[in-house]
Amino acid sequence: MTATLESLEYIQEGKKDIGKSVTVYALSTCGFCRSALQFLRNSDCKFQYVYVDKIPYETKQKVKEELQEKYEKRVVFPYLVIDDSEILVGFVEEDWKKTLGL
Amino acid sequence: MPTSKNIKDTEKFVSMVAEKQGWKLHPKKSFLRMLYEGLMTNWNRYGYYSCPCRDASGNRDEDKDIICPCDYCAPDQEEYGHCYCGLYLTKEFANTRKIPRYIPERRPEGKY
Repeated sequence: MTATLESLEYIQEGKKDIGKSVTVYALSTCGFCRSALQFLRNSDCKFQYVYVDKIPYETKQKVKEELQEKYEKRVVFPYLVIDDSEILVGFVEEDWKKTLGL
Repeated sequence: MPTSKNIKDTEKFVSMVAEKQGWKLHPKKSFLRMLYEGLMTNWNRYGYYSCPCRDASGNRDEDKDIICPCDYCAPDQEEYGHCYCGLYLTKEFANTRKIPRYIPERRPEGKY
């Protein structure tokens, strides 16, 4: 079940299509999350993100459960989903560059 | 009892913790500012300085291990030289002039 994930209002940014869908689950309060989003902005690639900490508690719990269930990777932030299948957790710029081909 | 914290309050809190413990802070002002803002936001949301890099439940008992400085700060400093957020650095790490990097989450799984 991914009904909650699908119902979220993701913010869309960037213009350059890199041939991959890029979704970031982030915390608005976290330095590494904000650095990760800035890195994507600087590359101008198309991506979408949502600040999980701004979601009401009940929904937020469902978001985390659905992410964990779907991708089988512990939910820590930033949580990067590429093409709905590949996951990177945490922000290490070299890893994001390499994995996204930026 | 104040009902909200501003950036100055938060900066003061962090500086006091660092001074008391003999720790240094993240060397980049812009990164530090994001952490101050995050801590301030969390205090104003929850009533305590919950870790800005972890999602809090809002229940103080459940979050007590991640109230800044968190229970994982010391072991993370021992292993990596800094805490999970990159906020508090050991003097030794600060002297290397390296920039804190993202480190693995040490908080036991299921605790969120």
